[in-house]
Amino acid sequence: MSTFDEWVRAPDATVRVEDDYRKVNQLFVERRWSDGLPIVPPTAERVREMLSYCDRPLNEPIAKMAPRYGEATPIRLAINAVMAGCVPEYFPLVMLAVEAMCEPEFNLYAIQATTHMVAPLVIVNGPIARELGLNAGGNAFGPGNPANATIGRAVRLALINIGGALPGTGDMATAGAPSKYSFCVAENEAENPWQPLHVERGFSVDATTVTVAGTEPPHNVNDHWSISPEGILRMIAGTMCTTGNNDIYFYQDDVFPQPLVLFGPEHAKTVADGGFSKDDVKRFLFEEARVPLGAFSKEYIELRYHVMYAGASLDTRIPIFKRPEDLVVAVVGGAGKHSLVLPSFGGTRTVTRALKRRDGQLVRSIEELHQLTADAASSGTSRLQ
Amino acid sequence: MCELSKRGVAAAVICSEPFLGLAKTQARVFGVPDLKIILIPHPLGGLDLDGVKSRAKIAAPQAVALIRELMA
Repeated sequence: MSTFDEWVRAPDATVRVEDDYRKVNQLFVERRWSDGLPIVPPTAERVREMLSYCDRPLNEPIAKMAPRYGEATPIRLAINAVMAGCVPEYFPLVMLAVEAMCEPEFNLYAIQATTHMVAPLVIVNGPIARELGLNAGGNAFGPGNPANATIGRAVRLALINIGGALPGTGDMATAGAPSKYSFCVAENEAENPWQPLHVERGFSVDATTVTVAGTEPPHNVNDHWSISPEGILRMIAGTMCTTGNNDIYFYQDDVFPQPLVLFGPEHAKTVADGGFSKDDVKRFLFEEARVPLGAFSKEYIELRYHVMYAGASLDTRIPIFKRPEDLVVAVVGGAGKHSLVLPSFGGTRTVTRALKRRDGQLVRSIEELHQLTADAASSGTSRLQ
Repeated sequence: MCELSKRGVAAAVICSEPFLGLAKTQARVFGVPDLKIILIPHPLGGLDLDGVKSRAKIAAPQAVALIRELMA
């Protein structure tokens, strides 16, 4: 059993650099260990502190991150979380998000290396999202909240430094996206008129979960005028109906795209008050979110749709997704008549994971994990000594 | 391709120039750092038939040379 101190003393575990803010950041940029923004220097003490909310063996991989298939050990993840500016309380969600996105159905390899702009979105549900103060309301995707910003950034730094998503060799995005810096929100459960996302997926309401989704950045649905469920949903369907999104691109293949619709709470209330369940929403959008074949270019139809739509009328309506249940519906944001549509990468499935202790029990509060880690250290069973 | 190569099958990846770095990194990750790579000009997607044929003319001699090399 190796301790944290033994790990730190190992050859090549650390680098020495002058205690100067600019020189530290210059080193990290030169070695391509950075996202380009200034980092918090991951000193041994800061990394040790980050691990004070981790009840896992510190040097045992929780996953391998494509495309480099680097081993995501708690220590390595903690280094990236320090660099991102996380406080230790956030660290369990960083680990959980990484674990979720390394599930095979998420298809992290393709998401990392593709020319598409996709980035893994982390949606947090449950009591610990509230305990940590994640923003689920106004400007949830915007600046200002340290939990959203730094958990998302820690995931990105891990994708770069452990997964090898280096622009140009491991991340081949044609233009990338701002969501590749940080992409984390909580669901606005308090203003969700339907079941929260994690409950819909079979988790208990007191579970804390992360759901990872390989998506484009959000596209806005501005609708200040519709006052009926059908009206709002028709506007959302119209926003989903683009010819160049990856969901419709993958339509012919043996994959089941999962685009996301994140309702603003005011739109959600109107739709729910009008009698629409979440399943009704999904069915309505499955029928309505369709692009006429004639909207595609002649060459696109000839080369991409020549089998499935051979001889079809240009009025044929092509669905964005294959089955109503594949659509992911959640509530995010605050006041205002806006909702969000997030086309997915297409060749990916969303994954939801619950935050559990090492013994398999649900974590009820983040301080519980801190106590468990401290207890393990005092009894000598922890590897953090 | 790495798995085929490990099993002794003549295997190569056809790769356009901007993706050479990714291809070499992946070959190393999968344990075949000397995996043969057939390099063609970018792009391959979005070409008309003549464009595809022009890429094939560049790729085919490289494929033949690799097979001869493996048979030698």
